[in-house]
Amino acid sequence: METSKALPPITRITKYTLIDEVQQRSFVVMFVICALCVFLIRGCYQGNYIVNGQALDAGTIVRTLSKATFHVIGAVVMVITALLSMRIFRRDRNEGMQACILSKPIARWQYVMGKILGLWALSTLFMFILHSIVFLITSINLKVFMPGYLVASILCSINLLFVIIAVLLLSLLMSDIIAFLSVLGVGVAGFVADGIAAASHSQIAQAIVQQSSGHPPSDMTWWKVVYVLWPKLLGVQQLASSLIESESNHGFGPIYPLINVLIYCLILGALLFKRFRNEDIV
Amino acid sequence: MIELNNVTKRYDSLTAVDDVSFSVKTGECFALLGPNGAGKTTIVKMLLDFIRPSSGGLSISGIPSTHAECRQSIGYLAENHHIPQSLSGWQYLLRCAELLDINRSEALDQCRRIVELIGMQGRENTKVGTYSKGMVQRFGLGAALMGNPKLLILDEPTSGLDPIGIREIRQLLDSLKDQGMTIFLNSHLLSEVEKICDTAAIINRGKLLVKDSISAIVKDGETLEDVFVRLVKG
Repeated sequence: METSKALPPITRITKYTLIDEVQQRSFVVMFVICALCVFLIRGCYQGNYIVNGQALDAGTIVRTLSKATFHVIGAVVMVITALLSMRIFRRDRNEGMQACILSKPIARWQYVMGKILGLWALSTLFMFILHSIVFLITSINLKVFMPGYLVASILCSINLLFVIIAVLLLSLLMSDIIAFLSVLGVGVAGFVADGIAAASHSQIAQAIVQQSSGHPPSDMTWWKVVYVLWPKLLGVQQLASSLIESESNHGFGPIYPLINVLIYCLILGALLFKRFRNEDIV
Repeated sequence: MIELNNVTKRYDSLTAVDDVSFSVKTGECFALLGPNGAGKTTIVKMLLDFIRPSSGGLSISGIPSTHAECRQSIGYLAENHHIPQSLSGWQYLLRCAELLDINRSEALDQCRRIVELIGMQGRENTKVGTYSKGMVQRFGLGAALMGNPKLLILDEPTSGLDPIGIREIRQLLDSLKDQGMTIFLNSHLLSEVEKICDTAAIINRGKLLVKDSISAIVKDGETLEDVFVRLVKG
């Protein structure tokens, strides 16, 4: 199919997906609650923080809190995106829209692509608005201007794409709630593994391991391979958050999580298209 | 217009459609008849590429049913048609027009004409959630007529309609037939089929029992119902 002919149906399905989701009461409620919670964070910026007996300056407080908020928003929007994605095919099926769309001269891949793009646009916008609230609070109220904050938000949307594709694929293979929990599990396991890896690099942890086993730990064990290949959702968030203060990155290491998640998106996307092509439309 | 060549559909040990072959000519009003579970809806869904046959092939206007282009000029009404509750009938019709790539002004014209045709003037702007089953069915039929299709595939179009509604649909199908539209009808209402259709096929347990013109199937002194019962009961 020519690209010029293939695009209009995709954009229309994207538009309908956006409109249908925004009209859902549960979506509006989730959005309002999240926006209110982000507004409530304002109070945290005004507190006095003492670390090792020394009071932190206002700039450090703003930057540290903004970064922490950035990660929390990223993680919460990932969960919300998974919730939105898990029911998308089922709802379309139950409401007759899947049969309506696919009885028109629209290929299945165009339908799936429209759904992915609609959800991605919506969740990215959702996250961008929440991040923008933090950006505006720090810029207007606290006079700390962080232009990288919004760029980081957009970079973080790669994680949302991964979540959407993974949940959509799994929702074709298992019940919606199991699909949601599985992707949530992948995310949580990744976050925990990153935490353990960060801790294991500390001098204390290395000394403990060396003392208990009597020899230095081997460099390449099976769990390390699994860890390296696991979806690096937290890695992408950390890479994005490094843009907030224009932290310098050197070499391949820092962008590895981005490549990792993009490759997962491609592989899972290919599996999703293949699976949906053979799906019975009921 | 429609060609089925040795089409078989198996679900594990169950054979829903068993080596069925027939064709429907352009401009013909064709009825696919059979008891519940005979495989009628499976054939309709294979025509629309909603499900894939285990073997054999289906084509519409010479294009394999697996190609999206073959659905360019098809109108389809599903059995137990559903419309999203958040939409009004008008919004639904407009969506269907947009999906067919009809420009805005033409889409509005067609929506107005169709609302009149299905007798839903004055109710088109209320939410679908407030509609009766029959009203949803009427809007479903309206959506199927969007874009002036050459082939209309109707799966139990009178489902949920009252006798007046059934008569109105029959009159509408008659007028569409007169306009040269090919109609593929899947129905239980044999008396209606006898009045509207030129040809019919009867299937049972996935096997094609007969495919001919109504006049050839129904012998003297018999009704289509008599023939149907005789063939299905063996």
